[in-house]
Amino acid sequence: MSDTALLRPHLRSFTTVVVLQVIGAVAGLAPLLAVVELGRALLASGPVDHGHVWFVVTAGAAGLFVRLVCTAASSGIGHLLDDRVQLSFRRRLAEALGRAPIGWFSRRRTGELAKVAGEDVSAVHPFIAHTPGELVAAFVVPLVSLVYLFTVDWRLTLITLIPVALAVALVPLMMTPARLREQKEFDAAMGRIADSVVEFVHGIAVVKAFGGSERASRRFLAAVADFTTSFFRMVRGLAPLGAGMQVALSPPFVLLAVLTGGAALITNGGMAPADLLPFLLLGLGLTAPVAALGHGFDDTQTARRAVGRIRDVLTVRPLPEPAHPVAPQGHRVELRDVRFGYVTGHEVLRGIDLVLEPGTVTAVVGPSGSGKSTLVQLLPRFFDPAHGSVVLGGVDLRDLGSQALYRLVSFVFQDVRLLRASVADNIALAVPHAGHDDVVRAARLANIHDRILELPRGYDTVIGEDTGLSGGEAQRIAIARALLADTPVLVLDEATAFADPQTEHAVRQALATLDGDRTILVIAHRLETVADADTVVLLENGTVAERGTPTELLAQQGKFAAFWQTREEEVR
Amino acid sequence: MIRLLLKVLGPEHAPPVRRTVALMTTTAIAEGLSYALLVPVLRALFGSEPGDVWLPLAGFGAAVAIYAVLRYVSDLSGFRAGTTLLRAMYHRLGDHLARLPIGWYSADRVGQLSVLASNGVLQAMGVIAHLLAPFISACVTPLTIVAVMLAFNWQLGLAALAAAPVVAAIQVWTGRAMAVHDAERAERRHEAAGRVIEYLQAQPVLRAGGRTTERFRLLDDSLTELQRASRRTVLSALPGVVALALAVQAVFTVLLVLGAYLALGGHIGVPEVLTILVLAARSADPLLSLSDISGKLRGARAELVRLDAVLHTPPLPEPPDPVEPDRHDLEFDSVVFRHGDHTVIDDVSVSVPEGRRLAVVGPSGAGKSTLLQLLARFYDVDAGAVRVGGVDVRAVASEVLMSRIAFVFQAVHLFDGTIEENVRLGRAGATDAEVRAAVTAARLDEVIDRLPGGWAAHVGEGGALLSGGERQRVSIARALLKDAPVVLLDEVTSALDPVNEAAVHAGIERLMAGRTVVMVAHRLRTVRRADHIVFLDNGRVTEQGTHEELLRHGGRYADYWHLSMTPAAD
Repeated sequence: MSDTALLRPHLRSFTTVVVLQVIGAVAGLAPLLAVVELGRALLASGPVDHGHVWFVVTAGAAGLFVRLVCTAASSGIGHLLDDRVQLSFRRRLAEALGRAPIGWFSRRRTGELAKVAGEDVSAVHPFIAHTPGELVAAFVVPLVSLVYLFTVDWRLTLITLIPVALAVALVPLMMTPARLREQKEFDAAMGRIADSVVEFVHGIAVVKAFGGSERASRRFLAAVADFTTSFFRMVRGLAPLGAGMQVALSPPFVLLAVLTGGAALITNGGMAPADLLPFLLLGLGLTAPVAALGHGFDDTQTARRAVGRIRDVLTVRPLPEPAHPVAPQGHRVELRDVRFGYVTGHEVLRGIDLVLEPGTVTAVVGPSGSGKSTLVQLLPRFFDPAHGSVVLGGVDLRDLGSQALYRLVSFVFQDVRLLRASVADNIALAVPHAGHDDVVRAARLANIHDRILELPRGYDTVIGEDTGLSGGEAQRIAIARALLADTPVLVLDEATAFADPQTEHAVRQALATLDGDRTILVIAHRLETVADADTVVLLENGTVAERGTPTELLAQQGKFAAFWQTREEEVR
Repeated sequence: MIRLLLKVLGPEHAPPVRRTVALMTTTAIAEGLSYALLVPVLRALFGSEPGDVWLPLAGFGAAVAIYAVLRYVSDLSGFRAGTTLLRAMYHRLGDHLARLPIGWYSADRVGQLSVLASNGVLQAMGVIAHLLAPFISACVTPLTIVAVMLAFNWQLGLAALAAAPVVAAIQVWTGRAMAVHDAERAERRHEAAGRVIEYLQAQPVLRAGGRTTERFRLLDDSLTELQRASRRTVLSALPGVVALALAVQAVFTVLLVLGAYLALGGHIGVPEVLTILVLAARSADPLLSLSDISGKLRGARAELVRLDAVLHTPPLPEPPDPVEPDRHDLEFDSVVFRHGDHTVIDDVSVSVPEGRRLAVVGPSGAGKSTLLQLLARFYDVDAGAVRVGGVDVRAVASEVLMSRIAFVFQAVHLFDGTIEENVRLGRAGATDAEVRAAVTAARLDEVIDRLPGGWAAHVGEGGALLSGGERQRVSIARALLKDAPVVLLDEVTSALDPVNEAAVHAGIERLMAGRTVVMVAHRLRTVRRADHIVFLDNGRVTEQGTHEELLRHGGRYADYWHLSMTPAAD
């Protein structure tokens, strides 16, 4: 997708903005030409033609009026268009993010993505509302002026261009390898300063608790020193050139060039004095493109980089949806020789074969880094396995269709997110049309009903506005959410349960209440949960090291038994 | 604007800023005045003796040369002042941030601060380097030109002067009108940003509800609101832009008509009227650019206001005559602590004799972590006192207080460096042998053996390359190395897998030995061996005693204990 494709729906308004801007800018020449014609009429020998003078003045005023109307309209339309474009960009981003594989998010920082939808979209603003019109105007007006001036006197036109030529001659000096290196160093130092600020601020508690605040601020100050040094170096190199360029392009300097050239041509070259006027008036405008280039260029570069990042998000490929979704039979879950890695060459799961029978609880245990979290994330299809398949009710998840999948699988993971919406809406998130009674029933089961009634507006309390909930309470809401969804397959990370004993109890109660036919997979952290499970799977290094009932495994005196004993010794 | 800038930076930076502003103003006046010399030049050229032009032209040339030198010097001065101020700003910010109470650093603030410190500072300081010169020149040069016009023809001069109050009034009025809308748009933007983050983080849940095919209403509403607010801002800005353009162009038209009239009537010489019209045309563009420059100045100003707010947050006061505690018993004496209008700690009195262990238990949100943070003086109490060794923590120098306390947090932040560097943070002058001993005691050596690169392995930003339990071990090693007499443990064993939990427990036991300990925990097994247990609910101590006493008492603690011990099947 190219930049223009993103903008295509708005092309007509966009063109209108640019055209209006150009018309306005060209109309702005009328008053200047009016002064020129006035001068010619007044300087002409013989009696002054009053009618001609007043016509010229009227034309100049009319030109000003057209300029006013066109630029105002262009600016208004441009900004409104810009708002519309931003809204549609943000909507499309939201849509794309809503389709991106969940796994894709885990490798990106939320802050970065939020920045794309926020600041980056805003950065497109000058691209749409200002720069194109201004840039076009900055080139069209001088071009028209230039053609006109050539017809008046080509020699003086060339002289008028001397300041521009001087300024342009300085440009290569700004692009020397030394200058470019300084620029690069400056960018790098700028990045370091941002990083060190972030690190300084994030680690402030540690820094203070360990009396290392001097050390950390030293690091920060070192980055600052580094930054200012490279900034000084860059400025020292560029500032004289920039200032020199400004002087060359400044109106007094241009006027001096025009007057000197004009005086020489009038005294020796036979140029009519009145012909000097257009150069005095229009000559100043010839410097506009060079100035505009420097000015509009930065914004355009920023906007271009922003559009690039937006496009990166928009082109994220969603997990493929099946062309012909297959209906599952039952809800037996099978992992068949599943292999998966986040980066190529480093497998996290290395050939897992596992069957989760309906009506059973399977507990996964294992040290950190064994692949437990990855394993459970394959069930709600946050990722697709690199090899092998995850099969639900006899159907590969990839042939199931995401709608059907989420009707079958619900999950409670460590990272609980509540929305800034009412408590009831939060619980009913997966079942938008659930009745109030069902919501309350789920809340009771999750051990959170009483707490909700204590909130200022009960189930209508808006989380985050009317009240905040503690971590444990939020987790119990998440459990209620999963209970209400009432899916036949439930995936649960028991680390959730560690906020407080009430939450811990809620999880165990939920596991015990979910009767009958459900397929439950839980990452177990408590011996009690493991003891209650029908099957225990010990993961180690991405493979199943042991599996069986808890009693079998303890009796085996293998790795599982050793694993739990170390824990018991330390804790009890 | 300048006043605000100087307020943020401190008075010591006033001279260079004032000098730069004065230089830029002089340059702008010089530009305007140099145009006065155009009149004799044009008079000669348009008169009967064009050959007489050279002398006036040389005069104009000299004026231009003076202007060029001034312009060059003031541009460089602007760059230099901007850079110096930038460094000063960063130093001030860094110094101040290090002194702010930790309680000030909420998650929200950390995010805002990162943006403020990187982009915000640059934008605010860019004022001097980039915006000031065009702004001053856009205001001062036209005014000087008007003065020149007045000198040559009072009618035309007065007509031009009439523009000045109108332009100024429009600027002020637009600025006020926009401030309201800018603020509203900023608020909507903030709101939308929050919704985007929520939307991103809630993706798994939203998808489970099949909520991604339809537009997610909460997000879409806030995006639409943002667009509406933006539109209101644009529509409210438009009258100002149009009015400014109208005023400037109306004055130009008046000058054109009046000039034509005066010239036709023979009241003014042709060279004079033409010069004045040339200069009028010259003034129009900078005036029109004012609306653009003011918009940018408003943006920079908003950043300055935010910086000012941060820099004016008072740090915790340091005692004038610090006292050094000579023992390490701890005491909370009728402590009250409020956060906003919410009372987090409500009249808590507890004491811990030296070398004993206090456990704090209670539902989440009861204020347990806050108690620990008050001990380490992350905040100051609103009433009562927190004492270490009988000395109020507010009377102890913060360096001294921190040297007595080892704090193991629930969430561990590691700096991007090697494991060794992170452990050494505990005590800067520790010997290699001491570091090894701490590492072994925290069972961090197992982790180091496993890592590619071992000791020299980098832990990544925030310690991202280590698991939660591994990070916890680093922080315990750090605390062991620090060897402080008071140990504070905040839910250290939450959410660990059994292997890490075992290792962490072993480390914690070694850390606690012979020290005064306050621990917050909900895993009651780790609590039962504490010398004293308090049950905290809603900021109040509702029960206290030893494990056995509390069980006999049969209150909330006992409920908790039974709840966590009974299997769910019952």
